[in-house]
Amino acid sequence: MIAPNPSEKTFLVRIKRQDAESQPAYWQEFEVPVKPAQNIISVLQYIAANPTTTSGEDVEPVVWDSGCLEEVCGACTMVVDGQVRQSCSCLANEQLAKTGKDHIELEPMTKFPVVRDLFVDRQRMFDNLKKVKAWVPIDGTHDLGPGPKETPEQQEERYAYSRCMTCGCCLEACPQFTKDNTFVGAQAIAQALYFNQHETGKKLKGERLDELSGPGGVADCGNSQNCVKVCPKEIPLTQAIAKVGRQLTVHAVKNFFSAK
Amino acid sequence: MPTDRTTSGPTATVRSLLDDNHFLLRRLHSLSGIVPVGLFVISHLFTNAQMAWGQDRVTGKGDFQHEVDFIHSMPFLYVVEWGLWGAIGFHAVLGLWYTFTGKHNVKRYSYADNVRYLLQRITGVIALVFIFLHIATLRWRWDLFGWFTPFYGKGYQNPIVPQAFHDVPMSLPLTAYALQISWLVVLLYVVGVTASVYHWCNGLWTAAISWGLTITTAGMKRWGYVCAGLFVALMTFSCAAIYGALSFDLGQDMTDDQLEVFELIVPESRVPLNISGRH
Repeated sequence: MIAPNPSEKTFLVRIKRQDAESQPAYWQEFEVPVKPAQNIISVLQYIAANPTTTSGEDVEPVVWDSGCLEEVCGACTMVVDGQVRQSCSCLANEQLAKTGKDHIELEPMTKFPVVRDLFVDRQRMFDNLKKVKAWVPIDGTHDLGPGPKETPEQQEERYAYSRCMTCGCCLEACPQFTKDNTFVGAQAIAQALYFNQHETGKKLKGERLDELSGPGGVADCGNSQNCVKVCPKEIPLTQAIAKVGRQLTVHAVKNFFSAK
Repeated sequence: MPTDRTTSGPTATVRSLLDDNHFLLRRLHSLSGIVPVGLFVISHLFTNAQMAWGQDRVTGKGDFQHEVDFIHSMPFLYVVEWGLWGAIGFHAVLGLWYTFTGKHNVKRYSYADNVRYLLQRITGVIALVFIFLHIATLRWRWDLFGWFTPFYGKGYQNPIVPQAFHDVPMSLPLTAYALQISWLVVLLYVVGVTASVYHWCNGLWTAAISWGLTITTAGMKRWGYVCAGLFVALMTFSCAAIYGALSFDLGQDMTDDQLEVFELIVPESRVPLNISGRH
């Protein structure tokens, strides 16, 4: 291991580790030298290269997930000092200054099964996208021609929802979304709205609303509005929930009078 | 938990009944809180606020008594009462179930809205306990732990009151007695009423989102001011009612008839009656 230069300034990183979903979690502490503008990923890279805890124990390198390193893929989402966020856009110096502590605490997201250490399985989010049919139905045997036009206003609203990167922050902070329930949460609801507002995507609106009126649907929202506050892409998630709520109200009334 | 339709028996039947009507139950839960319970609470608090105006020195009648008489004269009062019980029971059972399926996280995410989410659940439970105690003592006249606070709108409602006193109005003196019996009762009423009013006003705010009435952040904010205004108004009514009940002097303000009926209903008053110098 590369011993930290004694004259170098360092800080501590406490990491909640877990060997697998079925295994118990445990904490380990590492000492990391302060470098200018280093993000949590570079901190984790340093620990991977120097996997020795502060108590001098050589351990398995910490596992984490990451992809784009520019806050657009969502893979590196984790809980930093108790708050969910992308670790790539979290600078260690700023984080230490923000909390005023001498250490940074890293935990995996608590709402998804742990693969190992900080790496979680976000499959439920992708399953939920399938559940709400978050796509435009254009598969067919013949040319459908150009799609209908969209107004700039519609585009502007829908662009906000298109920014979703399926990171899971909204679900991690949601008190209604738990590991053992079926609530789909803000992410899938916003994507359902995104495609309900699309001129061609509208064809599946009824099916999406049927899914969202069942168990785990929009009605399970408890209006704590944490989702919109933690969303790194500033997606108006509470507006999306309210708009789907309105679509569901209309859908239910229509069904009451005219469903077969 | 994901529903397991392969299991059979009554649990599975109830489960699938709940799942099949998920949306309807959730919306009925919202509606049952706002309309029957909420509208009743508004009129109830408005009626109680009349206590602040006291009563006529000679006849013992007042605005509060007038309102109580009006309620007792309503046709199908028992149907209304049972309807309210149905609405409260439905709202409470589903509400408790929903409360314990969520997992609050205010410690980590201490946003004001998140605190509001937790408060909505806490105040719901407080309101339920409070409404039960309130009705058990004043309406059903249960003697809970020696805390007997009977409410009789008029003399005739108590069988031990002789014929001659059947029309004596007793609403204000007996409500005043119920609250003056101990500062703990006053505390219970202040906490219980505040929790109930908060629960209703916040529920009105969130229902507007759930039903899709307020679909923009600005709209939610504007509707928030309306709900906050309602909270202030209902709390003003409640304060007026508590002031009215506490400022009523049981020894001096009751008419002679009221005092006689009072002494029949409450043979050993736990509130000292200072009757010296009565006119």
